[in-house]
Amino acid sequence: MDIELSQQDQDFRQDVRQFFADNAYKAGEDYAEWRLEWFKKAAEKGGWDVPKWSPEFGGPGWTPTQHYIWEQETARATLPWDMPFGVGMVAPIIMAYGNKAQQDRFLPDIRARRVNWCQGYSEPGAGSDLASLKTRAELSADGSHYVVNGTKIWTTAAHIADWIFCLTRTDDSGKKQEGITFLLFPMKQDGIEVKPIITLGGAHSVNTVYLTDVKVPVENRIGEQGKGWTYAKGLLQHERTGLAGLSRSLVALEGLRDNARSVPRGNSTLMDDPAFRAKAAELEIDLMAAEFTELRSLASAAAGAAPGPESSILKLKGTEIQQRIQKLTVEAGGIYSAAWGPKPVGNSFAKGGMAGYLASRAYTIYGGASEVQKDVVAKNVLGIKRSSR
Amino acid sequence: MNFELSEEQQLIQDSVARFVQENYGLEARVALAAKDPGFSTTHWQTMAELGWLALPFAEADGGFGGNQIDVMVIMEQFGKGLILEPYLASIVMGGGALKRGASAALKEEILAGVIDGTYQLTLAYAEPQSRFDLHDVTTSARVDGDSFVINGAKSMVLNASTASHIVVSARTGGGQIDESGISLFLLNADTDGLTREDFPTVDGLRASELAFKDVRIGADRLIGEVDKGYEILNATANDAILALAAEAVGAMEVLYKDTVAYTQEREQFGHPLSDFQVLQHRMVDMFMEYEQCKSMLYRATMEAAAGDPETAQRTIHALKHIVGKYGIFIGENAVQLHGGMGMTEELRVGHYFKRMLVIDSQFGNADYHLQKFAA
Repeated sequence: MDIELSQQDQDFRQDVRQFFADNAYKAGEDYAEWRLEWFKKAAEKGGWDVPKWSPEFGGPGWTPTQHYIWEQETARATLPWDMPFGVGMVAPIIMAYGNKAQQDRFLPDIRARRVNWCQGYSEPGAGSDLASLKTRAELSADGSHYVVNGTKIWTTAAHIADWIFCLTRTDDSGKKQEGITFLLFPMKQDGIEVKPIITLGGAHSVNTVYLTDVKVPVENRIGEQGKGWTYAKGLLQHERTGLAGLSRSLVALEGLRDNARSVPRGNSTLMDDPAFRAKAAELEIDLMAAEFTELRSLASAAAGAAPGPESSILKLKGTEIQQRIQKLTVEAGGIYSAAWGPKPVGNSFAKGGMAGYLASRAYTIYGGASEVQKDVVAKNVLGIKRSSR
Repeated sequence: MNFELSEEQQLIQDSVARFVQENYGLEARVALAAKDPGFSTTHWQTMAELGWLALPFAEADGGFGGNQIDVMVIMEQFGKGLILEPYLASIVMGGGALKRGASAALKEEILAGVIDGTYQLTLAYAEPQSRFDLHDVTTSARVDGDSFVINGAKSMVLNASTASHIVVSARTGGGQIDESGISLFLLNADTDGLTREDFPTVDGLRASELAFKDVRIGADRLIGEVDKGYEILNATANDAILALAAEAVGAMEVLYKDTVAYTQEREQFGHPLSDFQVLQHRMVDMFMEYEQCKSMLYRATMEAAAGDPETAQRTIHALKHIVGKYGIFIGENAVQLHGGMGMTEELRVGHYFKRMLVIDSQFGNADYHLQKFAA
């Protein structure tokens, strides 16, 4: 064990910083153009546009330490906006289970960020119990296409997505995990209606998606019919590791302390308030430990093991920490946290703090509710077997 | 010792409960909050006609001579529907300051209109630097002949956009955080030199930032004696805390009961969610903290009504602490147990949760009152 970064790792960090500095957005530039250009330049660095992809598909093949450094540096830099659904979610499934034709067809557009994706998993009756999903896909008599009918809910970015990757039911005669089929289809077509859901912070990012007789050619099916659950399960683990956001939390905690220093409290500031300082310190301590939990998890993954149930611990701890930072931001905002007009009142951070806090309540719900995550840890990590009741 | 409501209180409770039931479904509330003035003037008139606005004023002033317990009975029911009408601002806050400190002439001029709903009051006490300290006042009132001239700013003034009169704290002596040297004034809302910036709050209510530039006001508009306004201000804030806590307790009841009902309906893994022990225990925790808040509310309200300010003061700190802490605890868990649906504006729980957050931010949050209690 050695906590020092090697010279190579230090050089890598320098290289990353230099890249971010050289390619930062400049005022007046066309944002959309800059964004695509940024990813192109990152690709030229040897897969920096797709850090988690394997070298076989153009990824950089970094060590865990390099991934850690990258995450730390991206938390501090302003990167072009990017959604996890393409590069982070559907691409790994296409790589692992798609055929060569599908890989050639979809991966280049995903990598270049030319096509936006959304994830059609949850349904009104299938949330934590995702495997009970009911959206039907019927194979046509000639076997050329599926006809899809059903409703998907909590679909982030469905209103701006070009494509959806969707779990559908092709058979309900056996176990509910069997008979699920993984389909890809375009969002802009007849039979697809997207209805916005406004969440507590007043934002529109999630939607209900109604699917009525949507025709999907069989060549858009990933892998075998009825095996979609196995493919999606691998992805869920993937999603859960990505949700911890620890480096971003460290930066957010620094921001919170800066904000607290701007809040007057008698003759000093809120940051001089012992109770407030203690809460911020508690968060920092939890983050210090969680960072190393993440490093340990990355290291074991690099040693050959797939990200296993220990990734559940990271999502649980990471999201809890994010929520506590958001909550403390609301406390720091004091009386102004209630203000909800079009522009900030009293201080610059209170409104964003409240919006962030409200949005953060979903962190322990999506991607596997915390209660379900704890069931997984109890079963898979602690080895607790439920006696039949 | 007796926890029974009087016959009159029982009647009021039933009548408020019926009003909330009939008028404050979620859709109706959202519609009222969305358009100006942010509440129903018809409801406000109804509240006047039913005598609710008269309740906490002395009979000599045209009121019913009620105390904090009577207000608690109303506010707890209001909390079940998250009522938008400015009862807290006008009757408890503005009215509370007037009934404690205004001259007989001023009371006679104003209170009848407050009680019949034509006038609407509010209290402007917070400032950009004051955070939760009522005694941190930099807005100044300088003597000029037989008038005062007010300069400064007030923050997060509840329902100021519809108020006819505003009670303002201003410094007439002492330093920025001294309790002595604070005076209270009753300003007409359309006074020259007073400007407002109105905005909604996250719970669907309305508030304003106020700026005072050479606002001239006669000495006859003083509430209480010069430099001695803090005592009135603090007593009024205590009444406001009791009222807010009663509203919070009403809202907590909705939050935990809605959650119990939802988890029995919603099925996952072939069972209602309520079959899962971890969720059962969470709901029992929500219920326990609701009952604890209710007990502390009774304790503080009864002590305040018994007229023992020193004992009541400590209990009011304790009350605002646990109501802030557990109101948010219950709200967060109501959202969590409703899952994705809890995150939407379509169900009640999200709205009640947001109200809990705002209640914690008013008149000192949970941490603030814990420190006051411990001091």
